[in-house]
Amino acid sequence: MSEKLFSSSGLIFPAIATLLAVALAGHIDPYLAFVATSWVIFGLLGLSLDIIWGRGGFLSLAQTAFYGLGGYLGSVVAINMAPTTGLTLVWALPAGAAFGALVAAALGYVIFFARMGDLQSTILSYTFTLLLWSVTQTFKLDVGAADIGGDNGLANIPGIVLGLGADSDALGPNAAFVTVVLLSASIYFVTRWLMRSNFGRIVDCIRIDIEKTELLGYDIRKYQVINFAYSGAVAGVAGALFGLWANYLNPSIFSVQEALLVPIYVLIGGLGTLAGPFLGAIGIGWLSFWLGGGTVGGQTTLILGAVLVLLVLFLQNGFLGAIGGFWKRFLPDPNDAARNTGAVKIDTAVLESILIDAERQAGPAKPLLTEDLLKRFGGVIPVNKVSRHFVEGKPHALIGPNGAGKSSFLKTCVGLYRPEGGTIRLGSDEIANVAVFDRVRRGLGVKNQKPQVFGELTVLDNLWTAAFARTRDDVRAREISQKVLGMLGLEAQSKVQADALSHGQQQWLDIGMVLCLAPRVVLLDEPAAGMTNEETRELSLLVRTLARHTTVVVVEHDMEFVRTLEGHVTVLHQGKLFAEGDIDSLRLNDAVLDIYLGRGEHV
Amino acid sequence: MEPDYLATVLLSSLSSASILLIATLGLAVVYGLMGVINLAHGEFLMVGAYSALTATQIGIPYVLAIPVAVMITMLIGGVVEVLVVRRLYGRLFDTMLATWGLGMVFNQGAVLLFGTVSPGIGMPQYSIRIGEFSLAAYPLAMIAVAAGTLAFVYLLLTRTVYGMKARASIQEPEMAQAIGIDSSRINMLTFAIGTGLAGFAGAVLLPIIPATPSMGLFFAVKGFLTVVVAGPVALTGTALTAVGLGGGASVTASFMTSVIGDVFFFLATALLLWLYPLGISSKWRRKL
Repeated sequence: MSEKLFSSSGLIFPAIATLLAVALAGHIDPYLAFVATSWVIFGLLGLSLDIIWGRGGFLSLAQTAFYGLGGYLGSVVAINMAPTTGLTLVWALPAGAAFGALVAAALGYVIFFARMGDLQSTILSYTFTLLLWSVTQTFKLDVGAADIGGDNGLANIPGIVLGLGADSDALGPNAAFVTVVLLSASIYFVTRWLMRSNFGRIVDCIRIDIEKTELLGYDIRKYQVINFAYSGAVAGVAGALFGLWANYLNPSIFSVQEALLVPIYVLIGGLGTLAGPFLGAIGIGWLSFWLGGGTVGGQTTLILGAVLVLLVLFLQNGFLGAIGGFWKRFLPDPNDAARNTGAVKIDTAVLESILIDAERQAGPAKPLLTEDLLKRFGGVIPVNKVSRHFVEGKPHALIGPNGAGKSSFLKTCVGLYRPEGGTIRLGSDEIANVAVFDRVRRGLGVKNQKPQVFGELTVLDNLWTAAFARTRDDVRAREISQKVLGMLGLEAQSKVQADALSHGQQQWLDIGMVLCLAPRVVLLDEPAAGMTNEETRELSLLVRTLARHTTVVVVEHDMEFVRTLEGHVTVLHQGKLFAEGDIDSLRLNDAVLDIYLGRGEHV
Repeated sequence: MEPDYLATVLLSSLSSASILLIATLGLAVVYGLMGVINLAHGEFLMVGAYSALTATQIGIPYVLAIPVAVMITMLIGGVVEVLVVRRLYGRLFDTMLATWGLGMVFNQGAVLLFGTVSPGIGMPQYSIRIGEFSLAAYPLAMIAVAAGTLAFVYLLLTRTVYGMKARASIQEPEMAQAIGIDSSRINMLTFAIGTGLAGFAGAVLLPIIPATPSMGLFFAVKGFLTVVVAGPVALTGTALTAVGLGGGASVTASFMTSVIGDVFFFLATALLLWLYPLGISSKWRRKL
């Protein structure tokens, strides 16, 4: 019971708060209702930041820019339409939302598709806001009846009008309060639904590990731009509401003081909680209302600045985060199951059936072919004109001493490194210039050296996310992930968070995610690292079975493991092809022994 | 176009670029050596300007007021490092938010202490003539000041024990600690030097840019952009970016309006970040 309440607390408590606000609205002082309306609007603005920062992982300081732009355009539309038709909400809100979304999408396109660093993105978003602040000071334009007057602002914005026709009146403060609360609540519930949907799951994955998400075949930049545009739309709606509420806008909406407030709301309430920003905005609003606009009110900026410093230093999870953490202590911990994991036992029959299913859906195995592949870092050439042809049937092992360029070769094939020359062919496709996610969609499956799992997600959700990337079908993704979960023997741990697993278990989970992708070529970078002897034996069985159905390339240091694979072995040395053959003939090869032992002329 | 006019535009643009460089160096040092973006940098500049102004008002000659401003800002910077920045190492965005809040506190504090308008300091106005155009001498002198400051920081980081330790700490932090470098003291000093450079900028620019509580914002914005466009190679990258972006914006502004200059600056930044998403120096092999 308590667990159910906990998992739906984001639905129940906001609903109760909304009902309470609506019920009480008729009984409160009109002035308080008027002021409280603005708190709710600021909460909506905070929500827009929580969407892109708490969920998307990008600290955008441009939310007030979308807010201001949405406010201006919404107000201009409202001023022009209200005298003849009334209904300001119907005109202003879509206009504000569309403008906010459009500008956010444009800015997000630049930031995400250029693959800017995190810092560069945040600073660019901040300067975008300040640029608007500077430009709007002198920006003068008459649009119909609306008169945008630079730093004189935009006046005569009509209030919230719900009635149709020229003679409809604006709502009174209490009715306006109810309208804004209901609107904000519906935006909150829509956002909550969106963030719990498949879209939201992938947005979460991008925040947790952006590289892994792309390696599952998701077009991450598209998701980032859409999420940013959505946050821009929410900010734009908040801005349009603010215009109707204040009846007046000026460039100070783009100011630093205004921008500063938004992360404060989010941090006070709890980053990533979605409901938190409302709590933060209402809390701060109520506090400054209670303190009054006198001497203390004049020092708001001073107090808020200090509050931000203290929040960052001492209360990272915010109010809701702290309550959630406290509540969780009284609930059974699903991660307890992580302690009772047994040894992984690969059932080849199940594995075969998974692989045959995969083959039926994704087509036959594809060969991977590189020709004169070249990757250079300054003076170091980790991949030096490597030409290799990998086919299905038997596993291919890549060996070589440290720094031989094995991992670099794999990373170049996947697209994490951009080659300086040569070609890479997957089946009949030339993929050297294809984006990483697209290579994955064409059948490349990769497991990097370090296990990459989404630590905050459950084991089953990790697998589901991989299966969904390929199938785009919730039901089928569920079937596939259940099957792989069973093969890995992790059924009892399906609800455990992935970061509670041991290193070896995370390796298995990562391999399981690759299997869910039904790849036609599988690249494994040191899969046996961190595994026990028994697990290594199971892994060897898995790799050999896999190689009968797909092309498999394994980078490995563990010679015993390589021997059990009974496949082709290629030796790399200083970025170049050095020798190849089966492991027994290479063991007798003096030149190979020389480079491994660091002796003789080949060093 | 007349050559005299062109020379005037070029000289004054170079001088605005130099002013930008002076105002940005401290930010670049802190970012380059500590990986921390100090969003209160502009406010430290403002504190330096007010310190110099107050010093001259109580009778200290302007030339001596500059070191006073540097000392005050270094002191405050050291305290801020110990109380705030140190607790947030490795949390870039938390550091940014905390210093942002701090900047607001400084800003509002200055409003309370000094009001929103403040007197400039009386400086004799010299000017030089190029053909029929006349240019104020002090802004032009900033070209030399910028070059001098750049050289000073370069020597500080390459020729002193502190500089050696600071560079060791940023390149291999664990190794530096393993051989006995007290990296937290080095970091405190680095942050203080960064804020001291901001204070120096505020003081030395006082004759051109009068002290106001929000003066820092103007520089800070361009400074942040300059530093992130420059990327990891703090000194060379920043100098190059400041001259390129600042000079370019100033040339644009002198032919059109100052707002268009700002727009140019922003668009050029966005374009450069599009081409070099991690900064123009992200693939350079030099480290300073």
